[in-house]
Amino acid sequence: MSKSVAAKALSRSYTGERTWAFLVGLLALAGGALALVVGFGLLGEFRGRRPLLDPMALDWLGGHATPARIVAIVLGVLLLVLGLRGTLRSLRPEPRPDVDLDRTEGAELVVTAAAISGAVQADAEQLDGVSRARVRAVGSRTSPALRVTLWLNEGTDLRSVWTELDTRVLTRARESLGLDVLPTAVRLELDTSAAKRVR
Amino acid sequence: MRPLVRLLSTLLALTVAAAGALLALEVGWHWWRPESGPLLVPWPRWQAELASLGWDAYAVRVGAGVLAAAGLVLLLCALGAGNRAIRLTDPADEVSVSTSPRSLARLVGLTVRAQDNVAGATVTASARRVRVRAKSTLETEGELRPRLLATVSALLDDVPLVRRPKVSVVVDSPKDRR
Repeated sequence: MSKSVAAKALSRSYTGERTWAFLVGLLALAGGALALVVGFGLLGEFRGRRPLLDPMALDWLGGHATPARIVAIVLGVLLLVLGLRGTLRSLRPEPRPDVDLDRTEGAELVVTAAAISGAVQADAEQLDGVSRARVRAVGSRTSPALRVTLWLNEGTDLRSVWTELDTRVLTRARESLGLDVLPTAVRLELDTSAAKRVR
Repeated sequence: MRPLVRLLSTLLALTVAAAGALLALEVGWHWWRPESGPLLVPWPRWQAELASLGWDAYAVRVGAGVLAAAGLVLLLCALGAGNRAIRLTDPADEVSVSTSPRSLARLVGLTVRAQDNVAGATVTASARRVRVRAKSTLETEGELRPRLLATVSALLDDVPLVRRPKVSVVVDSPKDRR
């Protein structure tokens, strides 16, 4: 099942990081376990007593020196590129794309991410029961979406905020931008009153 | 858990990049000038040490154990970094709504504490389960528990959750201890 744009916008994707960490963890676990198995002589007493850098393996490598060197260099460059890409990917902040309203050449019209989030935020804060709102653009330039975080006061009727948010705030945003759909992810923080001290 | 996984994966990626660069550099250097010494990594010394160390050496066993344990921790971190947000039903097309487990717990906690004869309550919530632990000095578990279950269920009916969590209520009452 592929997620809709709006569902994806709920939070930043962690798939890449999780997969990467999972694979490295699995590799380390398997390697460590294998070394333990060999070290405790479960693959034969003699196998366990051989040196880590096995002369048999070294002989084989010496016999295939040129291919081994080429493979090592290619592997090194590959690891460097992949590692740098992974680092940049993880460190890059989540993008805030601008919204393209008109892509016709010579008549391009672009709404900046800050403008659209400011407008929707001001609207959302007018709703009954909303104490604070934060809006940001997420996704990519080709499929932008809005992420709206609403802090609701204690005892707010959830259903009324629900309908008002769609009928007033989002519809207005869509109409003013002239878009049919504006994928939106809403995060609700319920019952967030300032902490009251009880005597 | 999520920031930790992001940090760990960044550090791992940096390590992999550095290791790859050193590997390519050293192999290339040794190939080009076999007679001169190593560039950055003292690998001939490491080679000699590794050649004298057996698989059954104490250091190797400890190192393997530490590596396996670190791998397991990393694996569990990656598995535990899932999205914990609680999805609510979509009010319209292309609008998706979620709330945090903490919010739901706060909502349930306020309602439970507002009930008669409840002295205090702790609530934990996830998308699958809401656990309520209430304290009462005036009512026994048998009396209070059905009432709290009904209240929490009615409350959850009002919240448009995609998946209704199971509710479990435990009442801690000194009257039961007699």
